[in-house]
Amino acid sequence: MLSKILRQFLFILIHFVVKILVAVQNIYYQFCETRILPDKHVTKRDVLTLLDSVPKLKKKLKHLVVLVDTSVHSMSDLALLVIWSLIVGVPFVSFHDLTGQLKKHEEDLFMEIERKKKGVPGCIKWSNKPDLNGYTNGTQANTVYINIFSQNDGRQRIVQCVNLLAKDRLKSRRCSEEYTAQEFNDALIQLYPNIPDPELVLYTGPMCCTYGLLPWHIRLTEFIQLSVNHNVNINSYLGALYKYNKCDQRFGK
Amino acid sequence: MSWVKENCLSFFQLFCIKVLKTGRIPQHLALIMDGNRRFARKVSMACKDGHSRGFDKLSEVLKWCLDLGIPEVTVYAFSIENFKRSQEEVDGLMELASDKFKRLLDEIDQINEWGVRVNVAGRLSILPIDLQALISKAMLATRQNNKLQLNIAYGYTGRDEISRAASHIIDGVKNEELTAEEIDEELISQSLDLGEPELLVRTSGEVRLSDFMLWQVDRTVLYFSNVLWPEFTIWNLLAGIIHFQRHAPPALQDKANTPAQQEFLDKYETRKWQKLEEIVACS
Repeated sequence: MLSKILRQFLFILIHFVVKILVAVQNIYYQFCETRILPDKHVTKRDVLTLLDSVPKLKKKLKHLVVLVDTSVHSMSDLALLVIWSLIVGVPFVSFHDLTGQLKKHEEDLFMEIERKKKGVPGCIKWSNKPDLNGYTNGTQANTVYINIFSQNDGRQRIVQCVNLLAKDRLKSRRCSEEYTAQEFNDALIQLYPNIPDPELVLYTGPMCCTYGLLPWHIRLTEFIQLSVNHNVNINSYLGALYKYNKCDQRFGK
Repeated sequence: MSWVKENCLSFFQLFCIKVLKTGRIPQHLALIMDGNRRFARKVSMACKDGHSRGFDKLSEVLKWCLDLGIPEVTVYAFSIENFKRSQEEVDGLMELASDKFKRLLDEIDQINEWGVRVNVAGRLSILPIDLQALISKAMLATRQNNKLQLNIAYGYTGRDEISRAASHIIDGVKNEELTAEEIDEELISQSLDLGEPELLVRTSGEVRLSDFMLWQVDRTVLYFSNVLWPEFTIWNLLAGIIHFQRHAPPALQDKANTPAQQEFLDKYETRKWQKLEEIVACS
């Protein structure tokens, strides 16, 4: 009995100590960040910093996904991520909508990106909208394709695929008793837009979780923390890209 | 080295385990045991010995899980992609697995006493026939145990697992055991080899899933530890559990199956066991 109370006390104590340590760490990060002015616009200096790092990023990133919780991320944060990716040259930027609110407020995001894009060369294309700004001067400009994924694009899409296959409504090939991953892949990709598998997922906050993001597509995706306190700034963005560059893929070998 | 290592914890470590057990313990722990070869290089031993050290570590971890009261542990032992490694290494790994399963069958009384149920997940048909037989025997021999379920992903990838489950469900519909409308997330989840883990630990600092439990991890706390697998200690595991206790989403209630779904799943389960019995009979 006594030992049980003691154990419970120690359990609470351990978690309390961890909480304090994490809080101290957060205050330290916050302190470091306040020295970088929280710029909500893309400044000339930002553009130069980003362009400077491009040659150092040897691994070309094609598809970046950000896990978005609209209760902690502002439209401005998301728009900045898009513009930075446009400058660095990431062709596909997707948002995984955890709360379902981003899809509802897609227009706001669209407006915010247009506002922030002023003066930055390149074009932004939305997967579900006709091209609005298809023209840019100069041939060097980058293009970013934006997609917003939600729960329906994850497991639900695979369910839909199995359902269609069961009804023979989807083209597929099965050479033996069971589908191979390649054969099932060929069937499944017909239900998705033609975009590359995400190579990098950025999340904020202390916990890493896929939240049901595209289960079929994330087998080789790196999960990198953007910030522990949900802040989005250019240094943490570049830091994550550098970290991604150091990740060494062995493809099973 | 045996499957579950005994007496590997000090009194103080056991006490710490008891303290953490006061809180929520993950009901299913998944492990990506990465870093055996890097460990071997680091201490300049043969690659094969690195893998063998990795197995020894697993037996220690299983004991920790029994002490912690974690009822289900899934480990990623061999991916389908690993067949791309050098022939020598692949052969070495197959041999290691054969040895360990033989050992398990020799020690079956001890395993049953601990209540360990061994379940191998993956495409068995791509493994050497003798290994298939050993695996089937081990699964059949420990089928009734219920204290610790040990899932070993061998010849496994998450995509392959989903593809195989999809095949069986589609066949179920074609054989009129099920209607297409009854295909839902829960049905697929239950047709897979592996259930949903609450905590996934990957060692050696890599931050990806490498095609492991792709379907199952949608609510899982992913914990990446920097140590190499053979150097993984009880403290690393306890740190992972504290992380889990701080951040885990609440557990979900299981949704009930419709009678047709349940009937299909029961038949599917029976067929699976029959297949294993056939493999044993053929060997």
